[in-house]
Amino acid sequence: MIAVSVAAGFLMILADRGQAADRDDGAKLAAMCTSCHRLDGGDGSIPTILGMSPEMLTRAMLAYRSRERPSHIMRAVTLSLSDEEIVIVARYLAALNKQVRP
Amino acid sequence: MKSWTRREFGRSTGAMVLAGLGPRLAASESKARVVVVGGGIGGATAAKYLAASARTIEITLVEPNPNYTTCFFSNLYLAGLCSLESLTHGYKTLAQRYGINVIHDSVAAVDPVAKTVGLKSGPKLPYDRVVVAPGIAFNYGALAGYDEAATQVIPHAWNAGLQTQLLRRQLESMEDGGVFVLVAPPNPFRCPPAPYERASLVAYYFKQHKPRSRILILDAKDSFNAQDLFLDAWERHYRGMIEWLPAQFTGGIKAIDVKERSVKTASETFKAAVANVIPPQMAGQFAQQNGLVDQSGWCPIDPITFESKLQPGIHVVGDASSAGDMPKSAFVANSQAKACAFAIAAALTGSERKSPHLFNTCYTFLSPDDAVSNAISFKPAAGTIKIVDNFVSQVQESAETRHRAAREAQSWYTAFTRDTFGYAAF
Repeated sequence: MIAVSVAAGFLMILADRGQAADRDDGAKLAAMCTSCHRLDGGDGSIPTILGMSPEMLTRAMLAYRSRERPSHIMRAVTLSLSDEEIVIVARYLAALNKQVRP
Repeated sequence: MKSWTRREFGRSTGAMVLAGLGPRLAASESKARVVVVGGGIGGATAAKYLAASARTIEITLVEPNPNYTTCFFSNLYLAGLCSLESLTHGYKTLAQRYGINVIHDSVAAVDPVAKTVGLKSGPKLPYDRVVVAPGIAFNYGALAGYDEAATQVIPHAWNAGLQTQLLRRQLESMEDGGVFVLVAPPNPFRCPPAPYERASLVAYYFKQHKPRSRILILDAKDSFNAQDLFLDAWERHYRGMIEWLPAQFTGGIKAIDVKERSVKTASETFKAAVANVIPPQMAGQFAQQNGLVDQSGWCPIDPITFESKLQPGIHVVGDASSAGDMPKSAFVANSQAKACAFAIAAALTGSERKSPHLFNTCYTFLSPDDAVSNAISFKPAAGTIKIVDNFVSQVQESAETRHRAAREAQSWYTAFTRDTFGYAAF
């Protein structure tokens, strides 16, 4: 529950950002994700990053960062992102998913 | 959202991520020109992400070969676990979906004054920026008796393709009980764990088909990357099959006798049934010939834009670059290429430049279902690139964790090659 409210809090951070800024920064950050995650829905043994809400994605990344979810690869990735960047990329991927699967 | 799709990216969702990048400028504005030299991981990724991040840039990719065979995962091919075709990727998607002008030719020289890239076949391509990704070259002079002609008898197999095929054939025709001698290079070289992954997977092949055979690693170094993980795995999977001799034991590698198929060290001469000599390395030939290399043999770069410190307007990514703590790996080449593409796009279109996110992940196979990984993040600092975090698999991990890493590695290969070339071959 703490993680849920923390994630919701982070999402509030970006309330005032422009959509275009979000999209450009989100796409650049997502370029980091696509070195390992496919964006056509088929990921095999690597968990997919499509089909999640921005809250779920943010929560998942925070859980990797806090070691609540174990993965040394995702820990390195999430440690390198600021709270704000985690929210931006989560929002970007969630919006992308809406486009991909209406 | 309409403006995202002004350029025709097809239906790929991967392309849609990229189409979100970049300033939306009027199509009538004159196009800046970027020439990318070399279509390996660094070059292909740079071309693709440049195409996606600014529609006002015209991109030409110059690569002599029609296809690229990945060095990563080629040790699985040596072990008989995959085909070379499954590791081979073409440039069709980059040309058709991303509108990149792909030219199969060699580059003769860059003229930084006229700002042109001259092709072997004659034409000169004008540029605003050049991205150079020539990979590695071999310093043959460093090993007496081993030169380019010798690679037809004793392959290096450190560029995937015909060399890898030759080594596989030699392993296949080797008699049971033979010794496979692998000469490992001094630092720095392409893919630090790869010689030891190769020893592991060749040992796996021997165990299935030639169980009396042995592997001898003659190293130019006294220690190697992830040594504890390898030594543990060799004890568990291949007890008594792999022997590693550091430089301090042999006194160093002195010469290769191609006719005798033997390796001479300061202390003794080792005869091989099959030999694999991985020579000392330096930045690819193109970088050597175009003033991009310093006394280290590699290309010094700006840690944020990857612009050469020696030749303004020319950027160097991948194995050839001298990028601080970043190892020479395919993942690093891909990560650098994205940072470089975003920096060039920002410079040519006048948009805001952000500090890059730089990463490395390597999956390494110890056996087909026992793999380890590492994850490193980097950041530009004090004129170079420094490690921020570094996580590596642990020796005591469960078999299930290692199985999972091996399965992940396979999925990673597909995602990564799609990220680079736009599609996967399998």
